[in-house]
Amino acid sequence: MKRRSLVWLAATAMVFPSLSVSAAGAPTPLRVITHSSFDMPKELLAKFEAEAGVKLTLIKGGDAGEMLNKLILSKEAPIADVVFGIDNAMLPRARKAGVLAPLPASLLALPLNPAVKAVDPQATAATDWLPIDYGFVTLNIDKAWFASNNVRLPTQLSQLAEPTYAKLLVVQNPATSSPGLAFLSATVQSQGAGVWGWWKNLRANGVKVSNSWSDAYYKDFTRNGGTRPMVVSYLSSPAAEVFYSDKPLTESPTANLNLTGGMYAQIEGIALVDGGATTAVTQQAALDFMRFMRGAEAQAALQTTMWMWPVSNGVPLAPVMSHAGAAPSVKALDAETLARESRDWIRQFNQVVVR
Amino acid sequence: MTHWRSIALGLWPALFIGGLAVLPMLRLVWFGATEPLPFAQQGGDFWQGLLAIWQDDYLRGRIVWSLTQAGVTTFLAVSLGVPVAWVMARWRFAGRGWLLQTLMLPFVVPTLVAAMGVLAWWGPQGVLGQWLPWTASESPWLLIAGNLFFNLCLVIRAGVAGFSSQSAAQFDVARTLGATPWRTFWRLELPHAMPAILSAASLVFLYCLGGFGLALLLGGQAYATAEVAIYTLVAHELELVLASQLALWMLLFTGIVVGLYAWLQMRHATPRGADVMVPRDLQKKQWWPRIGIAWVWLVCGAVSLAPLLAIFIKALSASAATWAHVLSAETGAALFNTLRFSAAGLVVALVLGVCHALVGGRYWWWRMWGLLPLMVSPVMIAFGLLLVVPHWLDHWPLLVGAYALLAMPLVVQPMAQALDALPTAWADAARSLGATPWRVWWRVTLPLVRPALRRGAAFALATMVGEFAVTLFLSRPEWTTLTTLIYQHLGRAGRTQLESAWVLSAGLLCLTLWLFWLIEKPSKRGSHA
Repeated sequence: MKRRSLVWLAATAMVFPSLSVSAAGAPTPLRVITHSSFDMPKELLAKFEAEAGVKLTLIKGGDAGEMLNKLILSKEAPIADVVFGIDNAMLPRARKAGVLAPLPASLLALPLNPAVKAVDPQATAATDWLPIDYGFVTLNIDKAWFASNNVRLPTQLSQLAEPTYAKLLVVQNPATSSPGLAFLSATVQSQGAGVWGWWKNLRANGVKVSNSWSDAYYKDFTRNGGTRPMVVSYLSSPAAEVFYSDKPLTESPTANLNLTGGMYAQIEGIALVDGGATTAVTQQAALDFMRFMRGAEAQAALQTTMWMWPVSNGVPLAPVMSHAGAAPSVKALDAETLARESRDWIRQFNQVVVR
Repeated sequence: MTHWRSIALGLWPALFIGGLAVLPMLRLVWFGATEPLPFAQQGGDFWQGLLAIWQDDYLRGRIVWSLTQAGVTTFLAVSLGVPVAWVMARWRFAGRGWLLQTLMLPFVVPTLVAAMGVLAWWGPQGVLGQWLPWTASESPWLLIAGNLFFNLCLVIRAGVAGFSSQSAAQFDVARTLGATPWRTFWRLELPHAMPAILSAASLVFLYCLGGFGLALLLGGQAYATAEVAIYTLVAHELELVLASQLALWMLLFTGIVVGLYAWLQMRHATPRGADVMVPRDLQKKQWWPRIGIAWVWLVCGAVSLAPLLAIFIKALSASAATWAHVLSAETGAALFNTLRFSAAGLVVALVLGVCHALVGGRYWWWRMWGLLPLMVSPVMIAFGLLLVVPHWLDHWPLLVGAYALLAMPLVVQPMAQALDALPTAWADAARSLGATPWRVWWRVTLPLVRPALRRGAAFALATMVGEFAVTLFLSRPEWTTLTTLIYQHLGRAGRTQLESAWVLSAGLLCLTLWLFWLIEKPSKRGSHA
């Protein structure tokens, strides 16, 4: 009796060793690490698995920055073969840590929308990273609030510090939120050293700083019961508002407010993890998956699952994306500068705006 | 229990905690100290830096604030909760049983939802908060209100248990000898309940000190606790040296609290009495218990129930489109995962927790070892595991292990307490009559500690259903739980997304309430909390 109970205990306690056994002729296993926002239709992924003879293991590694840090920490024994979600701004950091492996020329030669090249010529010329989608951080407004309060929309960033727009804006803290950092970076890039004076004026004018995009959008934005009709969000958010509305809409309740110097362009890409795929079949599976992500079906689907724009040439836009308006011609910020200085910006921001 | 049997039993929980909590943390500290990463700013000797962080205004501020918010919360929880517990232990009133059950709910609300509930009530635009002067948009009180929301129930339930175990005969003697109710309370009842209250208070302090999710969501950057600073340093900046130094200091502080807690438990272990006080019915002419009962409802209502109510109100106002959206296969799968992972985690936590508690309370260090998962920063564990077992991270047993690790202390505590209170004479008698140790456990000990086991299981299950720290570990889309599904909805723009989050949160609350009811139902007969 006693011995049996101990054996049972031992069996329950030692649940660690994996029991998975791969049989010969079975599909090739492929581990793909993604950021937590990765989202693709199940059927599409299943179709890829069947056609390519691959068994996908998708691993979510937290937000993009957190995911990259996990890859850097586990460099000696990589936790994935492929990584999706490293963006153009994080690329120098990923390279410096040596987590990316070079890609074959055949993949790099896949046709890329010229508009994406224009956003970041340097990153899109990379040989260890393949662009998959792109998008923009910009201000969103609550149309109904501006209409019923008879307030004219600002046309320049500087106006946000004027009394007309007192207590109307909510931004995210760049230390904890990636759109927050994107918006801050855009303002620093466009205004140079004078930007801290502007942020100081914004603070005096009652700008609210939230911790996360969800906080800002769902608690402070007037559209969702808050008191701020202007929020830092994404260019695609007005389209998502239509797509996920509680009743059928012909027009989005929110709109983009694309102010010069207040927009940030971001390209997300996919890459091979250095030391990840060791066998030829796994490497082939990895390349197949990357090619699939650049294929017409995946590029069409990601628009309404991840709310980004496709980068492949000639992929039609989803109809609902028209509510987001045309993609503005914004250039990405210099990634090296970002990597070097963003920490100082965050510190300064917290001193000037928060503390 | 013989030495060898203790070792055979204790080996498993010891290895489990050692392998899943201590080893990853030490590995990460070692990695940070020995392998300079390309972007690390901090140079110099690791141990010198350990002292130097006290000269850094920012980091020192984080540690001081961590201790302050934990201290203030504990003080408020005790001063609000003890009178509530006393009234609930002494008087029977309408809704008492329901309230005792419901008070556990805040403990299980997913952290993000709790934060939103707290904000909907106390926040700058909250129902009550908009009238209060001190809830500015960045206010330290929000975190404290959130802490209270989560932890007040611990003090109340411990207090009710403590006051309820008061010997009725002793009380009657005191009153017959002419002691006023006031005097009886201070000289007899409070000292009797004190060990339970102090234990709960040290737990509250510990949870607030080591708490991570709530501090991140309600404290923000301006009021970041040390745990939040560790998270930022590790997850976003990969500053392992600074993070390790901070984590070691926090380990020292939480260690002191846990040591105090273990000492309190061992010192004040009292065998259970047979004639305990039962709550009385209200008499018509008595008015002062009614004031007490009003106080109970006021405190519980404002601190614990109102934020929950806010969640339900939001959920009920959801549109038909949202319901169609929520009632999908995706939600079904998430529900299944929640139940599956929680159940698996519960089995592991229960088995290991019981083993740990059985080995006994003779050694303070052994008790502390059982509470280690509450002391070690979950951020350090999650990232340390990347170095220790990189290839197991995408296998579900590790996730279940993580759940079980975080839930195990919740089984260990009530079990250890119950075993302490067990008169040894009964087991001895059974043994002298020839029962095997297994039979003694099965027929004597287990039936006596079953209520505590149930309580531990309920708390453990609750923790697992809504645990925030688990989001730090790697996950897979097919492992999506209700909690992660809520996070997913809140990450997208659109009315139905927000409404779905509220509906799912309310659903999660109902699920938890039902699980609680299922687990704790048979023990409701007793007056124990």
